[in-house]
Amino acid sequence: MQLSQAFSNIWGVSPEDDAKIKEVFEVLRVKYAGYQDPWGFNLELCEKALRTILPFYRRYFKVRVFGQENVGDVPYLVVSNHTGQIPLDGMLITMAFLIDVQPPRILRAMVERFMAQLPFLGDFAAQTGSILGDRANCQYLLEHNESILVFPEGVRGVSKNTTQFYKVQTFTQGFYRIALQQHTPILPIAVVGAEEMFPFVWHVKSLAKLLKVPAIPLTANAFPLPSPIDIHIGKPIVVPDDLSHEAPDKDIKEQVMRIEGQIKKMLAVGLKHRRPFFDDIRKPLSKFILKQDRE
Amino acid sequence: MNILIIGMAGGLAQITARLMLSENPTWTIMGVDSRSLDKVAPLPGLTTLSMKYSRGNFENIFRSHKFDAVLHLGRISHSSSDAEMLAKRLEISVMGTNRILDLCLRSGVSKVIILSTFHVYGALPDNSIFLTEDAPLKASIKHPELRDVVEMDQMCGQFMWKHQNELSTVVLRPCNIVGTQIENTMSRYLTTPMALRPMDYNPFFQFIHEFDMAQVLCHSISKLPTGTYNVAGSEFISLREALDIAGSKGMPFPIILAKGMNDILKLMNIQIPEYLLDYLKFSCLIDNQSLRKYLGDDFLRFKLRETLELIRLR
Repeated sequence: MQLSQAFSNIWGVSPEDDAKIKEVFEVLRVKYAGYQDPWGFNLELCEKALRTILPFYRRYFKVRVFGQENVGDVPYLVVSNHTGQIPLDGMLITMAFLIDVQPPRILRAMVERFMAQLPFLGDFAAQTGSILGDRANCQYLLEHNESILVFPEGVRGVSKNTTQFYKVQTFTQGFYRIALQQHTPILPIAVVGAEEMFPFVWHVKSLAKLLKVPAIPLTANAFPLPSPIDIHIGKPIVVPDDLSHEAPDKDIKEQVMRIEGQIKKMLAVGLKHRRPFFDDIRKPLSKFILKQDRE
Repeated sequence: MNILIIGMAGGLAQITARLMLSENPTWTIMGVDSRSLDKVAPLPGLTTLSMKYSRGNFENIFRSHKFDAVLHLGRISHSSSDAEMLAKRLEISVMGTNRILDLCLRSGVSKVIILSTFHVYGALPDNSIFLTEDAPLKASIKHPELRDVVEMDQMCGQFMWKHQNELSTVVLRPCNIVGTQIENTMSRYLTTPMALRPMDYNPFFQFIHEFDMAQVLCHSISKLPTGTYNVAGSEFISLREALDIAGSKGMPFPIILAKGMNDILKLMNIQIPEYLLDYLKFSCLIDNQSLRKYLGDDFLRFKLRETLELIRLR
């Protein structure tokens, strides 16, 4: 009991965050009143999960969110770069849109088929809002005013070796066709810091192929390092009215490359202004050394 | 109107016949089945015959009675998947249906209604939400023992368009039909006290009450034009909640282990067909827009919760 109290004092939710969570879920309970989700989305479980993970978001990854003013009260197709070996970036973006963005919303993250097959985890992911990355599923959610989180790099984004960090992989086109079909604005996101959670990575592609899993990363650390995370939200991109969702690939590719380019630019700016990896340790340490020297 | 119902020994066929005759007392129905028809309650206007569909006298009834509509409800359920049963199912579902369609065509039947199942879509992790009638039929990819249902459905689809100028064909793909009179795996599963209650998955299900399904079958004669229709309400429910409402406490069990432990489970008198284990893992929800277009939005009498509560009466 004392141990859990001590843990709670260190990792518990601050009174400000506690009030914020209550406020957010009051709004969401009104929004989802009477809505039944065919994937099993469970608002109560989301609240519990947020309370558990928020200390990590605030104190471990020290997430900063930029560009909140770009988010309006409409459904978006939120498109982000994909980094880190375990895709924690999706979780952190979802938390940012819950706790640091107005109006709060649950982003419905599109996941690989592999995830849906996993016992326990697949069910948990569905209950916390994830859905299988499928066009019909997205259409259904956008029609129900939900915002969707998409990583058009797919597994290629997260299954990169160390040398490939922050190199955005070619975007797939499916998300843009969905946006065109539903006339949904696209909200570009750049996440900085998630690659360094696992600073050394080597992918055993042959073993992954053998085991029929998307990727098997070998990392030096099993638990993610406390790399400071910055989430940059860009201005919404309105899809053209005169382009059909059934347009040829080359026309869609042009538009997708524009979005990919914008995220790359946001990423470059974000990398320039990022906090150094061990900033929180380095700064107090140098202050201490300086003080010792003066004395 | 003169109607032929094939598969008359089944609970659904009996409810349908009763409903049809109560709404249309001038109609006459002939019910045939290769199984015993002793338990079929006599009704004014209903004649029953027990015979094999492959015999010459089955052909004779088409010649001697001028049927206006034929309801083919005689598909065998998939409670067992041994080789002998599989061959029998292929014989009845595919060859038998082919023969029935051919007889309908030759004897001038104007409408034929075939009861297929939503199982033709298969329960797969990459299933889209609310599968429409155009979705590929993937059931037999993983479970070859479902070949007969997929083949039967596809054969009816081909027949439907090939002979659309000669007769109207309607294929119905209902979701889980449950009730007190129908004897199928899902009704039994929901009411058995030792039902496996998945701990690791919680898929969504649609259920239709047997009475509502019978009503859809009756309406399909007059209201549904040629085509394939998913039959389900607009409501859906998670498996765990459905078990709670149906009153089955069930036995919490990781479904991922069930396949490997099938032999042990059989000893415990828990027998679930292998293909059904996938339905306990992944959702297979069907879209009902095509049906609602012709039958209206409120074509069901029983809400989902009522349907599951009523199954407790079994």
